[in-house]
Amino acid sequence: MVFSSLIFLYFFLPITLILYFVSPGMKLKNFILLLFSLIFYAWGEPIWIILLLFTSILDFGIGLLIDKYRGRKVSKWFLAASVIVNLSLLMTFKYADFFTSNFNFILGTSFPLPGITLPIGISFYTFQTLSYSIDIYRNQFPVQKSFLNYMVYVSMFPQLVAGPIVRYSEVIGDIDYRTTDWSMIVSGVNRFCLGLFKKVFIANIASILVEKYLDLQFSNLSSAEAWFGITMFSIQIYFDFSGYSDMAIGLGRIFGFRFLENFRHPYAAQSIADFYKRWHMSLGRFFRDYVYIPLGGNRKYQYRNIMVVWLLTGFWHGASWNFVLWGAFFGVFMILEKILEKPLGYTPRIFKHTYTMALIIFSRAIFYFVDFDKLKIMIGNLFNSANSISDGFVSDLTGYSYFFILVVLFCIPWDEIFSPTNKLRLKWEYIYKISAPIINILLIILCTVLLADDTYNPFIYFRF
Amino acid sequence: MKKLPAFLILFLILFVSSVFIINKKELVSKSEKRTLATWPEFSINDYTSGLYFSNISLYINDHFPLRSNMVDIAQKIRYHLGFHLDKEERIVVITTPKKEKNLKANLDTVNRKFDDDLKAAYSGSMLIINGRVYPQYAGSPAMGKPFAEMLNEYATKLSGVCNVYSCVAPLSSAFIPMEKYKKYNSGAQNTLNAIRSSLKAPAKFCDVFSALDKHFGELMYFGTDHHWNGKGAYYAYTSFCESAGIQPIPIESMKYERRRPFLGSLYDLTIDPEVAQHPDTLELFIPRVETKAVRYNATSLSYSAPTKVFGGSNNYIAFMSGDAPLIKITTNVKNGRRAAVVKNSMGNAFSVYLISHYEEIWVVDFRYSGHNLMDIILERGINDLIFSVGVYAAMSHGTINMMRNLAKPHAPALSGISVRKTTADTTNNKSISGRDSSLIKKTFTDSTNNK
Repeated sequence: MVFSSLIFLYFFLPITLILYFVSPGMKLKNFILLLFSLIFYAWGEPIWIILLLFTSILDFGIGLLIDKYRGRKVSKWFLAASVIVNLSLLMTFKYADFFTSNFNFILGTSFPLPGITLPIGISFYTFQTLSYSIDIYRNQFPVQKSFLNYMVYVSMFPQLVAGPIVRYSEVIGDIDYRTTDWSMIVSGVNRFCLGLFKKVFIANIASILVEKYLDLQFSNLSSAEAWFGITMFSIQIYFDFSGYSDMAIGLGRIFGFRFLENFRHPYAAQSIADFYKRWHMSLGRFFRDYVYIPLGGNRKYQYRNIMVVWLLTGFWHGASWNFVLWGAFFGVFMILEKILEKPLGYTPRIFKHTYTMALIIFSRAIFYFVDFDKLKIMIGNLFNSANSISDGFVSDLTGYSYFFILVVLFCIPWDEIFSPTNKLRLKWEYIYKISAPIINILLIILCTVLLADDTYNPFIYFRF
Repeated sequence: MKKLPAFLILFLILFVSSVFIINKKELVSKSEKRTLATWPEFSINDYTSGLYFSNISLYINDHFPLRSNMVDIAQKIRYHLGFHLDKEERIVVITTPKKEKNLKANLDTVNRKFDDDLKAAYSGSMLIINGRVYPQYAGSPAMGKPFAEMLNEYATKLSGVCNVYSCVAPLSSAFIPMEKYKKYNSGAQNTLNAIRSSLKAPAKFCDVFSALDKHFGELMYFGTDHHWNGKGAYYAYTSFCESAGIQPIPIESMKYERRRPFLGSLYDLTIDPEVAQHPDTLELFIPRVETKAVRYNATSLSYSAPTKVFGGSNNYIAFMSGDAPLIKITTNVKNGRRAAVVKNSMGNAFSVYLISHYEEIWVVDFRYSGHNLMDIILERGINDLIFSVGVYAAMSHGTINMMRNLAKPHAPALSGISVRKTTADTTNNKSISGRDSSLIKKTFTDSTNNK
């Protein structure tokens, strides 16, 4: 099930909320949350719920065993088992076809492709269960002894299928005990409505232009249109994913959980390293804590460590070489930025921002085109196209002009420009606070109207 | 007071959900002219594949309160996202048919799929001018060559047996009846000219484009459907007559019929509120010839069903009563001449005019037919073989190969003809007619032609 659907908004969510809030006691509340999370997952993936349960039971048991044998060598073996099983599941269900086809290509064999369909959300929940086992081993928090509470952590529907990748330490206080805090619920509702708008209005409309320029008119693109197409994809992917994260964070707040932020105005970044700190932050935190720092972090082999992290980040996104290339692209620029740290420090902000955005938008082409032949043509179109601008291009530029203004307004980091004590900001915040209920209702009506006409709109990150 | 904002939204949502539950569920959407989704029946297979749940989602979407109004408003919202340079024209991009499932439900019952080429070719930019939809042409001249080569193969093989004609129909966007859009002509015209220049004798070219272009400004195509109307197809027929050296029947001498308005396939693709306000009217020009017609299934001549050259529908399906793998028409024109038409849906409106000139016409839909075209030509003594297809079918390697494969001796399934070949070689020419004579008993005269 997706958040941006009529069935979720008008049936699943109200039923869940009512049953959740009328249930007395934390145990029953957690049970309701778990039950509806499983229904939410089963709506799209009835079979793969078995895999979700298997992973959860395994890591829950391993957590208990690590805790029981803490300090003894055997606990290391339990951790190793968790890492091996989790990564093997990911390799099997996400990368089996990729490895088989590459094996066939290199050795000239012809093993049939397993053809396993990707269980939705596997990349997210596998990382969550894995992080739980590692953190228990590192003795960062006490082991969870209630399977119900553990399952709530893994399968909580707000963040189950597309993140943010929530770490157990972030919700440890809320899982066992949380109170109904109305100011948090209201801020959760505000956040959810904002996320819904970002997805249904901005991302879905950008997707129309993405398909037009990057699929339908792909072979006849002029350079301007090619850049326009990948810029639209940059808009689509940001508002799609950050919209989902906003909805997840908002729903989490309604249920009393405080998830960490996943985005912080990524398109305001001043460098690639800065972008990394602003985009899909929960994944960045995962790789930082479990790969980058254990490899030596900044202390030794930093360039190697950066490259490893980025190659893995790329590969995490999908079983295809273009994602690896995308990761390598970022890795190389991160390293170059480290080398050129001093001269870059003296360059004006506008230059740094332009250079960063150009690279980010260009990298979207690598991200979009799984097929290398198409990518090659696209790069040709971007830099040296023989095609002339089509009739429809100018009419698209003008026909979507209000839309583009809205997108820019949403990308500007207002909260970074105006300090929390700035008078203008305080005034705006006050106006928003008192008008939020009306704004939210209008946004829900608008999104309902748009959803009535657009029944199929999955999130891009569902396939990762 | 703190709780009010959250409760307001919850009440709004619950109110809408309650209206949904209480509302009487319609079976058909009158405005969209389609059947609405029904509550799915549970089955283990559907459950495990996820189909059961997705059908429930469809049910909720289809029966959502005020859905059709919301669809209209959504279209208007998307349209008003900026400044529009020209008020009367706009371009919409169709990526996937918005109501694919419903389009299927709309089609007539006998073996008719939604045109494969429609999805492939017409999912793209559509120009909407004054409520009429014009699919933009995206082909190049080079794309005409493979089709011409395929025709050359037929013509060479059938040299001395029958004439082979290319009768390719351009898209409606080539004839937008406003001078300023004449620029859209050139694309389609260049591809058709490339076909002409690549065709080698004895294959013959029908200049459909010029025939239609002479009537530039007339409404020859539908505005909400991707086909041509009776008049456009008639002009194409005159171009065939010119190539074949026969005298076309004057359009004035035919029986004229108009049917009640309809919204066609391009409306289904765009679901555009402006287009909905401009429905099409089918115009039929019916030659005064008596006909009997039967349709066969994809592989066998052993089962047939009666059909009509002019069906009773109010939309394009009226021509040949829609697509069928193979249709045989017999007429009261006793001139001994026989034709075979290889076609996709564009050929339906064209084929109906041929009844004035042949006593027997075999209409083969290359997309669905598994019959061996060469057997039909040789054994029925076909004089003219006409390829009447839309320009997109003439540009795609996939569809061209389908047309080519009709001539293969081991076409997918030829039970009707191949069984006869192995068991009754000596009967030769009469074998099909012998089989048919028993089948024709089931057929009846097409009454619409007699009146």
